[in-house]
Amino acid sequence: MVKVSLTVNGVKYDLDVPPTERLLDTLRNRLGISSVKEGCGRGECGSCIVLVNGNPVHSCLTLTSRLDGAEVTTLEGLAPQGKLHAIQVAFIEARGVQCGFCTPGFIMITKALLDRVKEPSEKEIRRWLSSVLCRCGSYPLYFEAVKRAAKYIKEGKIYFDEKEVREKYHLKVLAR
Amino acid sequence: MIVIETISIYKPKSLSDALEFLDKHAPDVKPIAGGTELLLLIRDKKIKPPKYLLDLNPLKKTLSYVKVEGGVVKIGALTSIYDLSQTILHSDKRYAGFVDVWEKFGTMALRFEATIGGNLNAATQYSDYITLLLAFDANVKLESVKGVRELKLSEYIVDKRKTALNPNELLVEVSFKEPPAESSSSFIKFDRREILIAGIVTEATYLHLEDDVIKDVRIAFDMVSGKRIPARAVKTEEFLRGKRFSSEVVEEAAEKILPSEMTRVTDWWATAEYRLEMSKVSLKRGLKLAYERIRGE
Ligand SMILES: Cc1cc2nc3c(=O)[nH]c(=O)nc-3n(C[C@H](O)[C@H](O)[C@H](O)COP(=O)(O)OP(=O)(O)OC[C@H]3O[C@@H](n4cnc5c(N)ncnc54)[C@H](O)[C@@H]3O)c2cc1C
Ligand code: FES
Ligand code: FES
Repeated sequence: MVKVSLTVNGVKYDLDVPPTERLLDTLRNRLGISSVKEGCGRGECGSCIVLVNGNPVHSCLTLTSRLDGAEVTTLEGLAPQGKLHAIQVAFIEARGVQCGFCTPGFIMITKALLDRVKEPSEKEIRRWLSSVLCRCGSYPLYFEAVKRAAKYIKEGKIYFDEKEVREKYHLKVLAR
Repeated sequence: MIVIETISIYKPKSLSDALEFLDKHAPDVKPIAGGTELLLLIRDKKIKPPKYLLDLNPLKKTLSYVKVEGGVVKIGALTSIYDLSQTILHSDKRYAGFVDVWEKFGTMALRFEATIGGNLNAATQYSDYITLLLAFDANVKLESVKGVRELKLSEYIVDKRKTALNPNELLVEVSFKEPPAESSSSFIKFDRREILIAGIVTEATYLHLEDDVIKDVRIAFDMVSGKRIPARAVKTEEFLRGKRFSSEVVEEAAEKILPSEMTRVTDWWATAEYRLEMSKVSLKRGLKLAYERIRGE
C-alpha cells in the first residue's frame, strides 16, 4: 500500500491505496464521488475526465499512488455549496443533456478550456470537446453551451444560485 | 476496479536516484511517464506486469523542456504533448510537422498526459513522433548510472515494442540539428475519421530547398519494409535529392520509386494494396505541403 495525501474538491484526504489503484476507483468507490464515470477505461471516451492540478486527465489512466500532494477537481467541486458554476448553468440552458452519462466529462474539459482560453473559436471548442464521446449525439448543443459559458464568465457571472436555477428550469433533486 | 497487487511503485527523489533504482532492480522495473500506453499494455496482458513501476513524474522539472542550443533542438523526454505546443516547435514554420502531428494526436486530454519519451519508447508504427522525428534525423540520449550515450533514433527503434534501451537506462532527451531557414516539414495522418485515430497510413516529410532545387529531403512512413515500425523511404529520398522540385518529379517518386522499396501488410483495417496507394498519395501531399510552407503559400 502507498500513503497519499491529496486534496479533492478542497477537502484533504490521507489515503492508503494499492499502488495500481486508478484515480477513477478512488473517487467513486472510496470517496463516493459519482459524477466521474467509467465508459471505456482506456482513455478513449473521456467520461472519466477530472482536473489534476488544473490539467484535464483521464482518471481511468491515472494511478492514485502517483498523486501525493495533488489537487483534484471533479464536477462536484466546481462551485461552492448552494451554487452552480456558469458552465453547469450553460449546459442546463443549452439543453444538451440526453442520457447525461457524458456530461460531467464535457463540463470538466470545458473548464480546462475556459481556464486557458477566454474566448475560444469554434475550431478550438471542437478540438477540446473531442476528448469526450457522446453516444446520444449532443455535440452541437454542447458547442453552444461552451459559448454561453464563456459569455457568462466574461461578464463576471461565475456562480449562480442553485435553488434559483432549479426552480427556473424545474430541476428536481434526485434522492441519493 | 482493476488492482494488480503485485506491482510496487517507486518515486525517485532525483534523476540519479531513479537511475540507481533502475540499475538495482532491472529488468524488473518499468518506467512510467504518462502511462497512456503502459497501463493499457498491462491491462490487456500484452506484457508481463513488472515488479516495480518507476514513477517519472518527479523528474518533470528536470526533463520537461524544449530548447535550441548550439544549433541543436533538444526536447526533454518528459515533455508532454500539450507542453510541446507551447514552444518554438509550434510557432516556427520549419517545425510545422510538429503542429500536424499535434492536430491529430489522440484527444485534448490525452495530450496533457502523454509524453514524447513515452511515445518513442512505445515503439510501434502508430508512434507518430517516431515517424516525424525520423524525418528530422533525430538522435536519442540515454542515461544510466554508468553515463550517457547517444544513438540515432533509426537505430534505437529495433522492432515493434523493441528498442535498443538497456533495462538500466532511461531515455532523457531527443534532439536534432536545427534545420536551415529554407526548410520546412509536414506530417500526414490518413484515416476514416479526423481524431482518435491510429492512421491507416502516416507520413512525415522534411524538405530543404535551394532556389527550387531539393538540397535535402527526408521521408518517413509508419512502415516501409515489412517491419511494423516507422522507417525512412531512403530510395525515394535519394531519387529526389538534387532534382528541381516539380510536380513531375514528385509524381515519378511516388508512382515509380516508392513502390520499389515499400512492403505493406494487410490486416482487419486495410489491405496492403490500399495502404500502398495511400502512401503514394501521402508522399505527394506531404511534399507539396512542405514546399508550400517554405514558399510561404
Ligand atoms: C486513446 C488513445 C489515443 C492515442 N492516440 C495516439 C496518437 O494519436 N498518436 C500517437 O503517437 N500515440 C497515440 N496513443 C499512444 C500513446 O498515448 C502515446 O504513445 C504516448 O505518447 C505514450 O506516452 P506516455 O508518456 O503515456 O508513455 P507510457 O505509457 O508512460 O510509457 C510507454 C513506454 O515507454 C516507456 N518509457 C516512458 N518514458 C520513458 C523514458 N523516459 N525512458 C525509458 N522508457 C520510457 C515505458 O516504460 C513504456 O514501456 C494513444 C493512446 C490512447 C490511449
Ligand atoms: S473511462 Fe476513462 S476515457 Fe473512457
Ligand atoms: S448525453 Fe448520452 S452520452 Fe452524451
